Amino acid sequence: MLILEADRISKSYGKVAALTDFSLEISAGETVGLTGLSGSGKSTCARILAGLERPNTGIVRYAGKELTGANPAIQMIFQDPAGSFNPVRTIYQSLSAVLHLQGVPKSQRRDLLSEHFQNAGLQTEILSRYPDQISGGQAQRVAIVRGMLVHPKVMILDEPTSALDVSVQAQILHLLKDIQKENGMSYVFISHDPSVVEFMADRVISL
Amino acid sequence: MKFDRRYILPGLLILLFLIVAIFPGMFAPYSISDRTATYQAPGADHLLGTDNMGKDIFSLLIYAARWTLMIGFASGLLAVFVGTAVGLLAGWRRGALDEFLMGTTDIVLILPKIPLVIILAAYLGPSPWVLIFVLGLLSWESIARVVRSKVIQIRSSEYILAARCLGFSDCRIMFKEILPVVFPVIVPKFVLVTAAAMISEASLAFLGLSDPQTVSWGGMISDAFTYSGFLRGMWYWWLPPALCIILGVLAITSLAFIHERGVREVMQL
Repeated sequence: MLILEADRISKSYGKVAALTDFSLEISAGETVGLTGLSGSGKSTCARILAGLERPNTGIVRYAGKELTGANPAIQMIFQDPAGSFNPVRTIYQSLSAVLHLQGVPKSQRRDLLSEHFQNAGLQTEILSRYPDQISGGQAQRVAIVRGMLVHPKVMILDEPTSALDVSVQAQILHLLKDIQKENGMSYVFISHDPSVVEFMADRVISL
Repeated sequence: MKFDRRYILPGLLILLFLIVAIFPGMFAPYSISDRTATYQAPGADHLLGTDNMGKDIFSLLIYAARWTLMIGFASGLLAVFVGTAVGLLAGWRRGALDEFLMGTTDIVLILPKIPLVIILAAYLGPSPWVLIFVLGLLSWESIARVVRSKVIQIRSSEYILAARCLGFSDCRIMFKEILPVVFPVIVPKFVLVTAAAMISEASLAFLGLSDPQTVSWGGMISDAFTYSGFLRGMWYWWLPPALCIILGVLAITSLAFIHERGVREVMQL
């Protein structure tokens, strides 16, 4: 079943064309790899697929309907793990806000987060820390946990391991594979490293 | 974060002014309605002598702290409220709304403040509330500009993009995600606007545009000037309120600079 589709999308910033006439189809449970050189439009493509930006031309459809803005069913994981958290909030405050949005009562939030943290191989002590007080690998795991809290169907992974050590990279990639096996989510995996993309993706598109 | 000792002196001074302003009865030996012989020199009964109405100048100095500080802080708060709202909206929404709001900000920026405040205060009548509104509504533009540029810098941050993906509303993102990060740059602006409002109030009071029913430090200097305090060489009438204004403004401005420097050091700018 087709879940996310980009139909001949183009995006330019002023006179600079970032993405030209790009098309993509992603089925449920599938992992599509996007690779390319720096400046080839990978991150632009990721933001358009996540509904964070509108293409100048072309259309993006999620579950058959035009995507006109950000949709919690499509989550995005960013390259800079610590940068994807509010610097003035503790990890608990950041994640608790997501659960608040989901209607989870305050009394249940810490237990629920502890459970998610255990599944992701994280210690619960991290909850009381600020983003700059945890390692890149921990922050990326927390970012994945946060994305999972809203039960997404598609996850756009924009260079999720580029800023991490090789050993941590492998752990994150395996965590993502485990999550996909359990939830049947679709991934758009973006990386400039062809070996990482090949490991993760069912098929690879080069930009 | 380690406590910065440079806060102690200006902080204590402001605290002292605030305590005096909140509880004037604890420090003033006389009420502002008590009268005795006029133009008395400083002595045991009247630390700073008496004025043209026979009122104790030291007591007037204590009671005047309330209005001067209140006009300053209330104008600062109003300016922060308007400036932050305008800056947040313009920086977050961008586009036509940004252009409109920044165009309005530019107009306010080029308005000649003091002449306009004089005209408005004269036209609307001498009331501390009018002063608060006029000073507050003419002082928000620099706050709006600073907030807007910070919001533009933050809005493309990955944590804001993540918040949008998670389904947070624009309102929540602006007030819960962006505002706390922008807050450290608003604080020094607030204190600077407060200090400027205190000076403006003193200037207007000196020109006789303050409410004669309220006592302020600027009003005391104006009275000393109008009722021959200067001619009679009664420095103890006009110098103490002038010193209070200078010390208050210096303390507030120092707090702003120390805070700004601290934020820059933390952000390693």
